[in-house]
Amino acid sequence: MFDQMMSFLAALGAQTGLAHFWWGNVVMIAIGIGMVLLAIIKKYEPLLLVGIGFSCIISNVPGSDLILPGGLFHYAYQGVELLILPPLIFFGVGAMTDFGPMIANPKLVILGAAAHLGIFVALIGAKLLGFSIYEAGAIGIIGGADGPMAIFMTVKLAPHLLPQISVAAYSYMALMPLIQPPVMKLLTTKEERMIRMKQMRVVSRVERIAFPIVIGILVNLLLPPVAPLITMLMLGNLFKEVLVTDRLAKTAANEVMNIVIVILTIAIGSTMQADKFLTASTIEIVLLGLAAFMVGTGSGVLGAKIMNLFLKEKINPLLGSAGIASVPIAARVAHMVALQDDRENYLIYHAMGPNLAGVFGTALSGGIMLALLQ
Amino acid sequence: MNKDTVTFAIMLSVIDFFLSMVMISGIGAVLYLLPYLNRLGKLDEESMRRGH
Repeated sequence: MFDQMMSFLAALGAQTGLAHFWWGNVVMIAIGIGMVLLAIIKKYEPLLLVGIGFSCIISNVPGSDLILPGGLFHYAYQGVELLILPPLIFFGVGAMTDFGPMIANPKLVILGAAAHLGIFVALIGAKLLGFSIYEAGAIGIIGGADGPMAIFMTVKLAPHLLPQISVAAYSYMALMPLIQPPVMKLLTTKEERMIRMKQMRVVSRVERIAFPIVIGILVNLLLPPVAPLITMLMLGNLFKEVLVTDRLAKTAANEVMNIVIVILTIAIGSTMQADKFLTASTIEIVLLGLAAFMVGTGSGVLGAKIMNLFLKEKINPLLGSAGIASVPIAARVAHMVALQDDRENYLIYHAMGPNLAGVFGTALSGGIMLALLQ
Repeated sequence: MNKDTVTFAIMLSVIDFFLSMVMISGIGAVLYLLPYLNRLGKLDEESMRRGH
């Protein structure tokens, strides 16, 4: 009778998660809790880290059916795997973005490409460390500082690296106010940081409406591999700029965006299972991502300084660091660093130009990479 | 051609960086042309906002 009872309890125990619990789960649950605490206490990207952290915690409780087919986390991940969510994020971003600063100062768009040298440093570094060329391409795109684009490229090139790459990309984007300023100050003099920018011209409604249509056509014509993302970015922006669809623009910028963020954060967190995440390659990817961000910031600043050699009216080289994308965090960092030397030097609007161009720069780099690799 | 080599990674990087520069310059050139559209006329934003 007692033996029967014990075997019954043992069978019951085997059905629970306790039988499969190992130290890796404990580490990942601690990381998940750390993310939630960072969001609450330090306010680091709370919209992302709370969902990712919680989903990471639950996905590391063995026995949770949520990550298996039939579970909601599994279906959330399908949104990533089938590349539905990244274009929808771009749709929402387009509806909340004012491309005026980019249209008003076209010469600064070149900084959107200059600040992407980090992508290639990480790509070559990853290859030297023994990653395959496809994995290296996906790792490199972390340097584009564009979360949805990093996810898009990773799903296309190396889907098994999605947890490491998405976590690295979003974590570094949150930490840009710490990563970028030392590089920016190292490469500029105080006089350069104090350069004031001339007020920009007003961009007309006609230009604002023409912009998404023209770019939509050009991107689909020239770069089909990344067209889904930029096309949706432009559609969202067109809804915003035509003024006659403000209901749709508001829905895209708020309701759609919020729903997509919930699903996306659940999906990313659910991939952070201990057996997949706690590997040596995770540490390598995290370090390569950091190098990519630092080199990208530096190359953007140097790009602006090179431009100054040819320009009559000098630009503030801090604007170059904003070319790394990560809208609007990088623009805000450039603005804050400029304010430290001159309390009345407001760079934010000017920095938004290269910052938005950085989104295109990452998309272009990613599109060319996909075209050459596939 | 074996793509899975460091040499290919370097070539890919050089080509990608160069082409990105060219293409983004192209976008810049398009942006330079946008103000010419203003010659076509001006839109009445107030009526557009009221039009739905």
